Amino acid sequence: MKRKLLMIAAGLLVSTAAMAQTADEIIAKYFENTGGLDKWKSLKGLKYSGKLNQGGMEIPFENYVFKDGRQTTIYSLQGKTIRSNVFDGKDLWSDNYMTMKAEKSDAETTENFKQEAADFPDAFVDYKAKGYKVEFLGKETVEGSETFKLKLTKKPIKVDGKETENVVYYYFDATEYVPLVMETEIKAGPGKGMVSQVKYSDYQELSNGLIIAFTQAFGAKGGPSQPITMTSIQIDPTLDAKELAFPAGQ
Amino acid sequence: MIKPKLMLIAFMLVATLRLQAQDATVKGKELFGDMRARHIGPALMSGRVSDIELHPKNDRVVYIGAAGGGVWKSTNGGATFNPIFDEYCQSIGAIAVDPTNPDQVVWVGTGEPWTRNSVTVGDGIYKTNDGGSTWQKMGLEKSERIAGIQVNPKNPNEVYVAVLGALWSDSEERGLYKTTDGGKTWNKILYIDKTTGCSDLIIDPKDPNVIYAAFWEFRRTAWSFNSGGSNSALYKSVDGGKTWNKIHKGFPAGKLGRIAVAVAPSNSNILYAVIESEQDKDKGLYRSDDAGASWKFTNGDFGLVVRPFYFSRITVDPKNPDVVVKAGLLGSISRDGGNTFKNLGTMHADIHDIVFDINNSDRMYVATDGGVYRSWDGGTTMEMVENLPLSQFYQISVDNEEPYNVYGGLQDNGSWFGPSSSPGGVEARDWQVVGVGDGYRVLRHPTKKIIYSEMQGAENVWRYDPVKNEAKTIQPLASKGDPKLRFNWNAPMAISAFKPDRFYMGSQFVHRSEDMGDTWVKISPDLTTNDPLKTEQGKSGGLSKDNSGAENHCTVFTIAESPLDENIVWAGTDDGNVQVTKDGGKTWTNVVANIPGLPKNTSCWHIEPSVFGKGTAYAVFTGYQHGDQKPYAYKTTDFGATWKSVTSNDIVGFVRNIQEDYVNENLLFLGTEFGLYISVDGGTSWLKFTNNMPSVAVHFLDLHKKTNDLVMGTHGRGVIILDDVSPLRQLTSETLAKDFHFFPIKPAIMNESNGFGGTATETQFVGANASTNAKIVYYLKKRHTIGKMTAEIQDLNGNKIADLDAGKAKGINIIDWNFATKPPKIATGKTFAFGGFTAPRVPAGTYKVVITKGKDVFTNDLIVQYDPKSNIPVADKKANEEVTKKLFDMTQDLAYLVYEVDETIKAAETAKSKSPSSAKAINPFLNELNKLKETLVITTGDNYVGMGEPQLREDLSELYSKVASTFYKPSAAELDNLSAIAERMQTAKATLKKAKEKHNAKLNEVLAKNKLEPIILKPFEEFLKSSQ
Repeated sequence: MKRKLLMIAAGLLVSTAAMAQTADEIIAKYFENTGGLDKWKSLKGLKYSGKLNQGGMEIPFENYVFKDGRQTTIYSLQGKTIRSNVFDGKDLWSDNYMTMKAEKSDAETTENFKQEAADFPDAFVDYKAKGYKVEFLGKETVEGSETFKLKLTKKPIKVDGKETENVVYYYFDATEYVPLVMETEIKAGPGKGMVSQVKYSDYQELSNGLIIAFTQAFGAKGGPSQPITMTSIQIDPTLDAKELAFPAGQ
Repeated sequence: MIKPKLMLIAFMLVATLRLQAQDATVKGKELFGDMRARHIGPALMSGRVSDIELHPKNDRVVYIGAAGGGVWKSTNGGATFNPIFDEYCQSIGAIAVDPTNPDQVVWVGTGEPWTRNSVTVGDGIYKTNDGGSTWQKMGLEKSERIAGIQVNPKNPNEVYVAVLGALWSDSEERGLYKTTDGGKTWNKILYIDKTTGCSDLIIDPKDPNVIYAAFWEFRRTAWSFNSGGSNSALYKSVDGGKTWNKIHKGFPAGKLGRIAVAVAPSNSNILYAVIESEQDKDKGLYRSDDAGASWKFTNGDFGLVVRPFYFSRITVDPKNPDVVVKAGLLGSISRDGGNTFKNLGTMHADIHDIVFDINNSDRMYVATDGGVYRSWDGGTTMEMVENLPLSQFYQISVDNEEPYNVYGGLQDNGSWFGPSSSPGGVEARDWQVVGVGDGYRVLRHPTKKIIYSEMQGAENVWRYDPVKNEAKTIQPLASKGDPKLRFNWNAPMAISAFKPDRFYMGSQFVHRSEDMGDTWVKISPDLTTNDPLKTEQGKSGGLSKDNSGAENHCTVFTIAESPLDENIVWAGTDDGNVQVTKDGGKTWTNVVANIPGLPKNTSCWHIEPSVFGKGTAYAVFTGYQHGDQKPYAYKTTDFGATWKSVTSNDIVGFVRNIQEDYVNENLLFLGTEFGLYISVDGGTSWLKFTNNMPSVAVHFLDLHKKTNDLVMGTHGRGVIILDDVSPLRQLTSETLAKDFHFFPIKPAIMNESNGFGGTATETQFVGANASTNAKIVYYLKKRHTIGKMTAEIQDLNGNKIADLDAGKAKGINIIDWNFATKPPKIATGKTFAFGGFTAPRVPAGTYKVVITKGKDVFTNDLIVQYDPKSNIPVADKKANEEVTKKLFDMTQDLAYLVYEVDETIKAAETAKSKSPSSAKAINPFLNELNKLKETLVITTGDNYVGMGEPQLREDLSELYSKVASTFYKPSAAELDNLSAIAERMQTAKATLKKAKEKHNAKLNEVLAKNKLEPIILKPFEEFLKSSQ
């Protein structure tokens, strides 16, 4: 009798363990819960519109991202248009705030950007085909919530001429199966070596049924964050190619 | 089918598992939400670093292990570092980078091996497989101290670990360990006995089967230290650790002490060993040229033999076997194979590790008691790393200035005070030194600008006037008939809430002065056990005498006068007594025997008299110096007649300090060896606070009475502050049961400071400031993930004033509001009008916070006040607001005017292009409009030095910003300027009106004739909302 009890208890433990997630199950459930992988794959582009709140000052912006990697962010400030991280598939450029003229990013940044831009609409879509690796690292409490921590290893990037690994950590809500937080080490610039963090919230449905986070809060881990809230997200927008081309003879 | 009974058992089993998973850390993360600690350093003196490791292939990557401040990684060649080990034990013994996978795999052995009196404990070995982002504990939990880790360069699963082991007690978990499965299992491959640990370890870089391991017999008690014995030895294995032989040919005879060993990477036949031995003449450096088969003494200089327990490491230049460096008081370098040495360049004393860069031996990194130093010239010139806030506070205190200052003393780094906030952040330049040597207590006189500070063993106690920069030593001295006064290394001081000039100190007696230390009276007998066996510090040290005073014992360690009654004084002793007097010292009662479950002679580390009752006090005890790491914290409500434990199983590690809240008796804070714990139920259960709070030893806590900030003196991460803990007072089971709970919002005071600050460079640490914004605090039962959630400020009529960013974490959320409304709509020009980015402040008054979460709306009042301490009268502020409003409106009026001009120009240009024949009629209008526009906004140039001449918009927005950015009444000059600008506005409006009267009819005619849209201007309100 006693032995039987033990066996049952052991069996229960095993089934608890079997309930443990695999990375692929979490990713599958994420896509399933947010509209379905097919819908994600059929996306041609997204246009995010919102306002950046800078201590009371609201800066309207539009961010276009396309499947082929092309993208741009257009800010409107005092009636002026400022373009940032504009990528036409070849050149990456932004307006210089001082001269209001377009300047190209350095070759290394452009190359890294191009590589990252290929992730549209989501790094986890076809991650295996892209040569990425995913690992489930276990449960962790993040933002007070129980999450699944996934490690996504993408193709290495170059940092100051040296090939550097490109790892991103995702924390998926253990109930909703959507990312709550994304973390990655800052590889260049003043915050080098610190961990950047994006917190996702306000998941809402788009016109095609996809569910996307309307608020993304950016910051360094352990520090305050700057949320950006979208007022609308449009699927498959169109944009004149000349908006993305590096302006000639400015 | 499972029978019900079985189901129940199975269910209980699972329930138990769940319960275990809900540990104090997880529960803490669920409650504390985005309450976040901030670090203010300082980093200018940094703190003790025990180990440095380099990436074997990438010379930009450097790891350091701090004695009490965790693991830090540099990816820029040591210019700056970032912490990568905050969630785990912060006392680091050894780091190893896996040579076969150096980008990913790093090992960290916890527990510093430099066994000074204040050294703490580790809790095992950790490994990361992703360059430090996530860590797994790989066992050896009871190792306490790990002195070395070596990874087989040909097989990363094979790792050797030198476990030095327990310092204060016997332990079997010490010796040399080996794993062959990447850390899943460990074998103890060389063990001597319970008192002898493995103190150094190196494998031959050319042949990983050759291993050298040094063993050291050592023991510390609270009152003595012994280094050396017949078990200390140096061993060699040539078969991967299967068999071992002592390699002592040429070593001194007799007992040996601590031994360090190094292999020259460029020639593994050449070894160096530093040996502590019985005879002074034999102590020093030995060299072997035959891989340890025989040894020759080369040098016994002071720099090589000083304090072996504290400085032992030797490193050989990777490129030159004759260049060898030895850690020590100042650090020594030999360039002739160890025969002669000179000191390294000037840096903080007490060197623990030295490494050479992988490519360029001129580039070196050195670990000291005062942080990490870099050299670019082979150790001659030393440059300090300035962003490592590893300061090791023993004690801290605060004053009542605004912002308040934090005072404290540091391990080997003197005594300091610095502001809790400073313009631009708390920088190195903000800290002032107020004592030298090792610093401990630093107290500010309650009413005068006088600071008391001390150095080790109260050798000096200073009464310091920081204004005049005058210091006087005031320590109690032995009077006629007194025995020798025994002061602890960290001697207690206390001040009184009743008599500002009263000052207490403790030796074995409690001394009281009523005149700031000029005159002392002993108000107690010897309060300690006065055990003669524990007071023979002159004999301490073992093979190397070490009578620094650090082992002084049978001393009073903590003194506290009750905040409710000046005649009630508590004193705790390091040998385990708790004494209390209710009559100002006439009689004392030792109440320690009344404490249940407390082992005898456990050091009383802190006593905190309560503000809730004269007989109420808390006492915490540390037993780690007896090898007992259990947490001990107790509360009495009857002057110590009875005590109850206020600890729970949630707490990991031993306790250093306790702080009771001043408002809610059940809100307690506990400083432990592995971080901060908070109880909201009077100590029945504890939650670990981990938000930006490392698992660092919290040696001292203080709760600021005005700000409710919890200020922590950590022993390894400087001063850490948890701002305004008052929301925690409200936490009840009812609050926690609600989906959403608004905490009462304190009236927010608008800070008027707008001065200058921020001089630090990129490579210097800058401490975070406290927010001066309004804080809106609420509790969310569940993290907001799905659906919309917004927060805004409204006036009492429901008009939106500002959008806020809602916090969405489960637990407590804090939103900051800087009192700003929206900036004005600005006229469009060629460039930015920078003044137009200024958002006006709201006037003092009551506002509404509105949080919308899905369909639910939660509101709360927020009172905004002017600073009552301001020198600017309220009437002046009102005048400022009035003029600000006027300028704000004028700015928007101008924006609309320019919009009208632009729309008209656009229509005229369209008409002209559609009907070239109308050009003659339209051109004069266009000319007038363009001429007008050129006076309204800048129409040429850029935003920097190519900017055009400022026009009306620029002048107006500058004046607006100038007035709106302060609280002052607008000056006569500003008002004059305003009327001049107002006049220009009027003129501009009149000019447009006139031009339109003259030409508009014609333009409209052309437009109509060409079937073009007439000019339709948006109404003003609509224009304001547009992004045009």
